[in-house]
Amino acid sequence: MSLATATRDKAPEESVAARVRSTLEAVFDAVSATRADTTALLARVAATGRRPATVDLAALRPGLHGRLARDALVSGVGFVAAPGLLSDVPAWLEWWQTGSDGDVRPLLLDLDPEHSAYADYTHWDWFALPRDTGERAVAGPYVDYLCSDEYSLTLSAPVLVEGRFAGVAAADVYLRHFEAAVMPMLRRLPGPARLVNARGRVAASTDPRHLVGSLSKGPDFGRVLATGRPTQADGGIRLMPCDGVPLVLVSTGQE
Amino acid sequence: MSKVVAVKQQQMNGGARKAVFAPVDSRARVDAVVRRIGDAIELGLLADGEQLPGETDLAGQLGVSTVTLREALMALRQQGLVTTRRGRGGGSFVSLPEVPGEERLKVRLRGWSTEELRDLGDHWAALSGTAARLAADRTEPDDLVQLRRTAEELAQAADAAARSRVYGRFHVELAAAAQSARLTREQVALQTEVGALLCLVLGDDEYREEVSERLRFVISAVQDGAHELAREQAERCVRQSTSRLIALRLTL
Repeated sequence: MSLATATRDKAPEESVAARVRSTLEAVFDAVSATRADTTALLARVAATGRRPATVDLAALRPGLHGRLARDALVSGVGFVAAPGLLSDVPAWLEWWQTGSDGDVRPLLLDLDPEHSAYADYTHWDWFALPRDTGERAVAGPYVDYLCSDEYSLTLSAPVLVEGRFAGVAAADVYLRHFEAAVMPMLRRLPGPARLVNARGRVAASTDPRHLVGSLSKGPDFGRVLATGRPTQADGGIRLMPCDGVPLVLVSTGQE
Repeated sequence: MSKVVAVKQQQMNGGARKAVFAPVDSRARVDAVVRRIGDAIELGLLADGEQLPGETDLAGQLGVSTVTLREALMALRQQGLVTTRRGRGGGSFVSLPEVPGEERLKVRLRGWSTEELRDLGDHWAALSGTAARLAADRTEPDDLVQLRRTAEELAQAADAAARSRVYGRFHVELAAAAQSARLTREQVALQTEVGALLCLVLGDDEYREEVSERLRFVISAVQDGAHELAREQAERCVRQSTSRLIALRLTL
């Protein structure tokens, strides 16, 4: 009885926001597990008094492959080393992806600045945000022309060794998969709705006037996320933060 | 009923259909393979002395027959970009000849007709022009940081190969700023074709300045949300690069 009352009192937007959050929390679980494995591995190597090398990171592979197999939303997962961390190469991504045929493959990048204009990956949001804030982050939606050539969200978290930044653990979610996961929830709302990031970029939408990838201008979505409270904006628009992940549910009520 | 329509359509399109299913010009395939591998060597993606995969593997990866691949390797040997050693430990190896890079690139440019260069430029202008227009609608200030960094890097880059790589990256980043994975993929593919050739025109400091300036115009128009101006600036930038290549081709 009390449960029924609680459900009725909860705004439908609130329950959609909660489910979007739990969808992404499942992906963050893969990031956290990668971070835990990497942190333990780097600590083990440090205990032997030497610097880690690419060969050491091979120990992460069974865990990474397992995560790709377990979560259908995760299309790429791995550890991206901070430049200078490894003794044998200047920079490295221990990164694994599921191909269109379902095969699991390593990402092999040319990270030699003499050959590649894409050798420096430290400016990408998925690397820079966790490094600069020390917090986990959601980057995107963005076109990932470094790793997958897909329109993506990348969830990442900093890896620290003895308090020092050593790189990021991260997982890729392709937007088309994210859309498939959240659309049934958005469709349950009485009017058009969309999910936008802190900068107003649309990540999923049931509103043909606001397509995925476009910018929603007007409200300060960053502030809504910072306060964590639902807000009413001009034009009967309701803004509901997906508490814990940096997305805001924008809904317009009954049409 | 629908069968009749289908038959009729087939008759009408008979000529065009025959062309579709005609054997692909094998000469064009050889040229495409020569270009691809030659460009990779010029851009430093394949290093001097590096061994190429075995003929069967390489043909499979490139999606051509071994006969086509052999012809292409022969052409690359004639250009001095590949040497083949027989016997144990043998195979095809990348070899950078002593001839200056510019001369070799001119040989590559001679492999393009002016019509092909013009068409390449049209395709490129369509991609970058559309990307700039969409980006003007879909970017906010933080998205432009990367494009600005690239424009600055181009202004600093010392040698022609580095300039060409950074210039190519600008166009890829512009497509990404448009939030289009398809335009980005197309642009990446196009830059692998045009990148080596652009080394020939970007070595000129004056032109490099002009390009840097042009890229800054594109960024400003994108920032102002002026989509038609952004498209125009991006198209003009591409047209200038293509005209320079064609003008150079005509002197060869």
